[in-house]
Amino acid sequence: MNNTENIIEIKGLKKSYDNGKIKALNGMDLEVKKGEFISIMGPSGSGKSSLLNMIGALDTANEGSIMVAGIDLMKTKKLNKFRSKEIGFVFQMHNLIPNLSVIENVQIPMFETNASSTEMRERALELLKAVDLEDKIDQKPTKLSGGERQRVAIARALVNHPSIILADEPTGSLDSKTGEVILNLLKDLHAKENVTLVMVTHEPYVGNMAERIVNVLDGKCQNIVSSLS
Amino acid sequence: MCIDIIKGCEKREIMSFLSLVVKNPFRNKTRSALAIVGIAIGIMVIVALGMVTGGLKNSTQSTLKAGAAEITVVQAGSNSFESGGTINESTAADILNLSGVKDTTGILRASNTSTSIATTSSNSSQGGFAGPGGGLSITGIDSSKLSLLGIDSLNGTVFTNSSTNQVIMGKTVAQDLNKTVGDTIDLYGQNFTIVGTFETGSFLTDAGIMMPLANLQNLTSNQNKVSDVLVKVTDNANVTTVSNEIDNAYPNQLTTTTAADQANRINQGLSFIDTASWAISLLAIFIGAVGVINTMIMSVYERTREIGVLKAVGWTDRRILGMILGESIVLTLIAFVVGTIIAVVGVELILTLSPSVGGIITPSFSYDIFLRAFLVAFLVGVFGGLYPAYRASRLSPTEALRYE
Ligand SMILES: Nc1ncnc2c1ncn2[C@@H]1O[C@H](COP(=O)(O)OP(=O)(O)OP(=O)(O)O)[C@@H](O)[C@H]1O
Ligand SMILES: [Mg+2]
Repeated sequence: MNNTENIIEIKGLKKSYDNGKIKALNGMDLEVKKGEFISIMGPSGSGKSSLLNMIGALDTANEGSIMVAGIDLMKTKKLNKFRSKEIGFVFQMHNLIPNLSVIENVQIPMFETNASSTEMRERALELLKAVDLEDKIDQKPTKLSGGERQRVAIARALVNHPSIILADEPTGSLDSKTGEVILNLLKDLHAKENVTLVMVTHEPYVGNMAERIVNVLDGKCQNIVSSLS
Repeated sequence: MCIDIIKGCEKREIMSFLSLVVKNPFRNKTRSALAIVGIAIGIMVIVALGMVTGGLKNSTQSTLKAGAAEITVVQAGSNSFESGGTINESTAADILNLSGVKDTTGILRASNTSTSIATTSSNSSQGGFAGPGGGLSITGIDSSKLSLLGIDSLNGTVFTNSSTNQVIMGKTVAQDLNKTVGDTIDLYGQNFTIVGTFETGSFLTDAGIMMPLANLQNLTSNQNKVSDVLVKVTDNANVTTVSNEIDNAYPNQLTTTTAADQANRINQGLSFIDTASWAISLLAIFIGAVGVINTMIMSVYERTREIGVLKAVGWTDRRILGMILGESIVLTLIAFVVGTIIAVVGVELILTLSPSVGGIITPSFSYDIFLRAFLVAFLVGVFGGLYPAYRASRLSPTEALRYE
């Protein structure tokens, strides 16, 4: 796959809840290039999280087409394998497992790969170093600050060498200063690991860090604003 | 559960998943402890009853020892444990003439309620095996015929038939009264020397004292009378045939019981205890399983979001199912260990603290009792965990992640 190819191609995607009463996605179109960093913005309830869930194959659409990393998500049955290989999630809440140490939390996605225990540990260490947490690898998440937890979550998202990071308001529960650290980290790692970054955010200053902003309204992409790049 | 096991993935990786499964039940210690207690009680019942009934079974089997008399003949209308002489001593010699009979002997069963015994042992009053009337069970027998009672070897010597102050004593009474060879005992107001002790494995025999037949006949004023005739059949004779033959030779006078009959009667009692213990176990298992289901459902419910995360990072439904099922089995296996330890320690403790019970029962440590308890624990884990694990594996990732 070369750099100009689209890693995400969505056409006319529809998803409704409550027997069609709620149209979370209503004919969504979106194309994202490999290695791109986009932010998705829009009012609450406009369908941003729903869109991310579709890209990450956490949910399936009712209509339309969605191709991610060359896989037709309307057809494939091996959704978990797709998630394990291609996607890394960063949620608003860190969602770490409280009784596991930092490094164990990072290794969790690797259970579904054929990685050996040494490979697992080395990869987790490499990423924890990258997020500047190598001195806390054996701590429990409850002992960490919010920003540190989110850094663990980022390491966890990257551990399987995904092609796409999906971040749903990754700074939403952090103060602006910590949020900025996390954003810079995400941006750095996206470049370093050559991974596509799709980030949902409410805050314009966060959105502006992306190469492109996509505005979502009523389950559709409104206009595509090419911002900084 | 770990698909990677089939692929032959490295040990540490499996260990890691396993260690997660082992760690998780300890997240809510109180709730897990309660579930463990519930199942441990069931396991404890299974193991304790198994050890005790197994021990009793071993004991009744040894009453069917080779060498001992197969048939006991008593006066019609009486039972074999009734004391006092009712049969003429010469009957033993008459029965020996019947075909298929190898050896016979007349014995006299009596009991001694002398107060001096009661004061020597605080336990004699509660000993369930004591002779009729609550005293010691004393049997008069010819010293050369002891093998018909299954007494083949002695610690010490046997009494001489002409003696008037010698007895031999079963292991249980000896322990109970704290007597050994060389000690004396007061019976019928006379001093007797314990010249030997014996252990046959039959708790009834081991709970008795033996002395020369003639001496007991004198002491109890039963001259030339016996209470039972013990009959040993020839090697090729059929016990039932000989038994019927005796019944027919002395209609309305004598009745026979075979050792097999007695053992059967005891075994029937034991199989009733067996059934009862299974019923109790099943109930305990049922309650335990409900406890496990409840515990695991609560655990899955609380960890809904976490399960959503595991799905989001690519875990298969099977792995999540395996994790919850594994946690449930971990709970019940801990309960197995706890319950087994309590049962073994408890049974041993009761038997040592209460020697009168300890004398009757040597608890069985046969491995199938523990295997049975292990299987029960394992199955409770599987069945208790199945539904919660299935629910967890079928959670929709988006719903799970939205869960507050
Ligand atoms: N599982 C669901 N069941 C029912 N309705 C849902 C479900 N998921 C989303 N919705 C509805 O779909 C719409 C879009 O939701 P979505 O979470 O995508 O919005 P959003 O843009 O992420 O909002 P926010 O900025 O508040 O996170 C909303 O009206 C929401 O209530
Ligand atoms: Mg949202």
